[in-house]
Amino acid sequence: MDGMDDDTTVFRTLKSFKSFISQPETSQHVAETSMSKGDLQRQYIQRFELEGAAEKIHSKTNLLQMVQEKKQMELSHKRARIELEKAAHISARDFEREVDRNQDLLTRIKKMEEREAETEKVLNEQIEMNKTLKKNIESQNKKLDEKDSKIANANETLCASRDEIRELNHRIKNQEMQLAAQATENEGLQEQAQLQHKKYLEASQKYQSLQTSECLNTENELKIKELERRLALQEQDTVIVKNMRAELARVPDMERELKRLREENSYLRETKENSSLLKEETEGLRRKLERLEKIREDMVNLELEKEKLSTNLQAWENLSQTTGLNIRKPEDLSREIIQIQQREIDLKQQNSSVTSSARALEKARTQLQNELLQLRTKSLEEQKKREQQEALVRRLQKRVLLLTKERDGMRAILESYDNELAASEYSPQLTRRVREAEDMLQKAQAHSSEMEAQVSKAQEEAGSYKLQAQTAEMELEVLKKQASSAENSSSVVGEEVSSLRQKIEELETERGRLEEQKNVLEMRLERHNLQGDYDPVKTKVVHFRMNPTSLAKQERQDEAEKLREECQRLREHVRTLQAGGAVAAEEGAFNLPPSQEVLDLRRQMESAELKNQRLKEVFQKKIQEFRTVCYVLTGYQIDITTENQYRLTSVYAEHMEDSLLFKRLKSGIKRSCCFHGGDIHSCPAAGTEILAVFSLTVSLERWILGVWPLCGPQLLRPG
Amino acid sequence: MRGMQIVLFQTEWRVELQSVATQRNFKKTYCKISLKMSSTLKGITLKGSAELVAEFFSFGINSILYQRGIYPPETFTRVTQYDMSLYLTTDAKLKNYLTNVVTQLREWLFDCTVQKLVLVITCLETNEVLERWQFDIECDKSAKQSSGPRDKSIKAIQEEIRSVIRQVTATVTFLPLLETACAFDLLIYTDKDLEVPEKWEESGPQTIADSEEVRLRTFTTTIHKVNSMVAYKRTDYL
Repeated sequence: MDGMDDDTTVFRTLKSFKSFISQPETSQHVAETSMSKGDLQRQYIQRFELEGAAEKIHSKTNLLQMVQEKKQMELSHKRARIELEKAAHISARDFEREVDRNQDLLTRIKKMEEREAETEKVLNEQIEMNKTLKKNIESQNKKLDEKDSKIANANETLCASRDEIRELNHRIKNQEMQLAAQATENEGLQEQAQLQHKKYLEASQKYQSLQTSECLNTENELKIKELERRLALQEQDTVIVKNMRAELARVPDMERELKRLREENSYLRETKENSSLLKEETEGLRRKLERLEKIREDMVNLELEKEKLSTNLQAWENLSQTTGLNIRKPEDLSREIIQIQQREIDLKQQNSSVTSSARALEKARTQLQNELLQLRTKSLEEQKKREQQEALVRRLQKRVLLLTKERDGMRAILESYDNELAASEYSPQLTRRVREAEDMLQKAQAHSSEMEAQVSKAQEEAGSYKLQAQTAEMELEVLKKQASSAENSSSVVGEEVSSLRQKIEELETERGRLEEQKNVLEMRLERHNLQGDYDPVKTKVVHFRMNPTSLAKQERQDEAEKLREECQRLREHVRTLQAGGAVAAEEGAFNLPPSQEVLDLRRQMESAELKNQRLKEVFQKKIQEFRTVCYVLTGYQIDITTENQYRLTSVYAEHMEDSLLFKRLKSGIKRSCCFHGGDIHSCPAAGTEILAVFSLTVSLERWILGVWPLCGPQLLRPG
Repeated sequence: MRGMQIVLFQTEWRVELQSVATQRNFKKTYCKISLKMSSTLKGITLKGSAELVAEFFSFGINSILYQRGIYPPETFTRVTQYDMSLYLTTDAKLKNYLTNVVTQLREWLFDCTVQKLVLVITCLETNEVLERWQFDIECDKSAKQSSGPRDKSIKAIQEEIRSVIRQVTATVTFLPLLETACAFDLLIYTDKDLEVPEKWEESGPQTIADSEEVRLRTFTTTIHKVNSMVAYKRTDYL
């Protein structure tokens, strides 16, 4: 750029220069043409001047060039400085880098040194280790040597042991030989043992058979014993059977007797029922009788009560007669009481009215007295007033007199003046004075007339007051008279009052009594009220017609009616039965509708009867069986001929009719098996055999067992 | 239940009063009605009182019949009334009878013509009166003119009734045992001028000759006052 600028400046200078050159030539030419013939000197100077100018220009250009160069130099210098600065910068950086590197290196060196120290230490350790290892090696070598020596020893011992082994092998062989020999021996012994075992087995078998045989033996013994026992039992049984047979012989007789007894029983049962029915009836009748008796007693009591009440009533009536009052009932009494109370109340009222009137009168008297006093004071006042008035009147009269005198005096004076004035001529003054005086006079006259009127008025008033006072006095007198008369009458009233008081007191006491009575009656009324009584005047009691009580009563009555009817019917039935009408009537009597209960009971009875029937059948069968068995086994038969009588017949008796007859006594000792001497006696009517009658509370079996063997033969002895 | 009926009766009346209110104020009036309803719960009218007392008699008579064993206990069923368990009969005849009597009684209570109600227990064998349960009724006849409700809550009345019935139950401890078959009757003491209705008839007071009396509690609805007492035949061995 600078170069370009430089170039332009150069061109400009060149241009200017060229222009400059061209200009002077033309001017020169003109000048030459114009002044060619003028002075060369001047040309020369001009040339000189021109040359100087050229030199100046030249120096100027040089200077310009120099300036430009200088500028260029400065620029280059600047450039160089910048470069230099850059270089300095770079070098500074390099330097810093170098410093850093240096420091790094220093640290490296330090590290290296440390490492070196460490390696040294390791080295030392290694050396030491080396030493120790060397020592170890040495010791190992020593050990090795020792072991070598030991191995040698061991080899020696090995050789020795080999020898020993050989010897031992020898011995073993020998022993094996021995063992074989012993085995053969063992076999022999085993064979022997087997033989022994077989023998043992045989022996044990024999032993077992022996034991079983022993057991059998014992069993057989037991059996034998049992059989023996059975035998004994059988013997006993046979004895029993024999006895039984003997008993059974009596059975048919007994059966016959049983039948008879049964019949008797049924008959008795019927009679019993009848008797119970009769008993019930009697019971009912007795009850009825008792009730009737009770009722009669009640009636007697009631009559007594009635009498009492009638006496009471009589007493009441008597009371009415004695007292003269019309008291017949408590109600009358209460009415009387009420009347008395009312009378009392009336009297009280009268009394109170009388006392109140007395009080009123007294009050009136006191009032009148007060009035009298007032009137007196009033009259006194009036008298005073009158006196005052009179004094006033007197004064006024005096004044009037004075005034008249004055007037007369004045008139005289006036007349004297008139007389004088007639002579002298002072008439106007005088007339004036006269007029004045006359006016004054008139005024005084008016005043006096007024005063007179007042006086007359006052007198009139005083008269009226006097009249009033007189009337008051009159009244007072009248009142006094009245008071005196009242005092007279008060004594009479006092008597009346006292009598009334007495009456009142009496009435009061009566009232107290009546009140008490009233309280008592009220209490009673309250009690009655509590018990449900009521005032029939105010109240009435109603209830629902179909109430439970009446319904229940109705039902009960119906039931009672029914029962009564039934009872009647039954009674009739009983009567017919008693008469012997029996079956025909029965059907008629029992056609009333049976109730559910009766039906139930009947059903129950039927079932019970059926059961009974069955039981009877079974029992009969069984007893028949028993009897036949007894008869067959023992040869005895027992019959019940009649009650408490038993017949014993034997199969083995000579005749069919031969039998023993027993009778049980009512006083018999129970469970005793002895004979009572007195009870035994012969009864020829029964048969040819001896008949024994004894107590049969003991069981037959026991008797036969215990007694028959002892007594039987004796009893059976003929005669 | 009876209480509710009273309330309903009251509310009808109130509603009539309030029916003047316009449709626009419907909600407002509804609120008012409900308010009045709650307030009427506290008061009691003559009708409500008669209802309450009749109800008491219904339960009381059933209780006595159960407690005294006039009817077998298996013919009774348990119900809850007055916050206590009571027994009501299931016997159709008895029920019918009781409803008849109680209905009539309610009418008379409303007319204030009843003075007493007496339950008489009679021995059927001897026709002897063994027990009398007497309920004296004092009617406030002024309640017939002034129809305004009284200031006593139903709850308080029921409380009193409860205590009366409790006492009735407790009397079993001292009353003598009824050993024989017994029946009962209800007598009503009324004013003299009352016309005896059909199915009803006049009766005697059926008093006990030698009796022992025990007063029981009293309850009142402020219109009807009921004094209870029991009289029973004195027994010699006691």
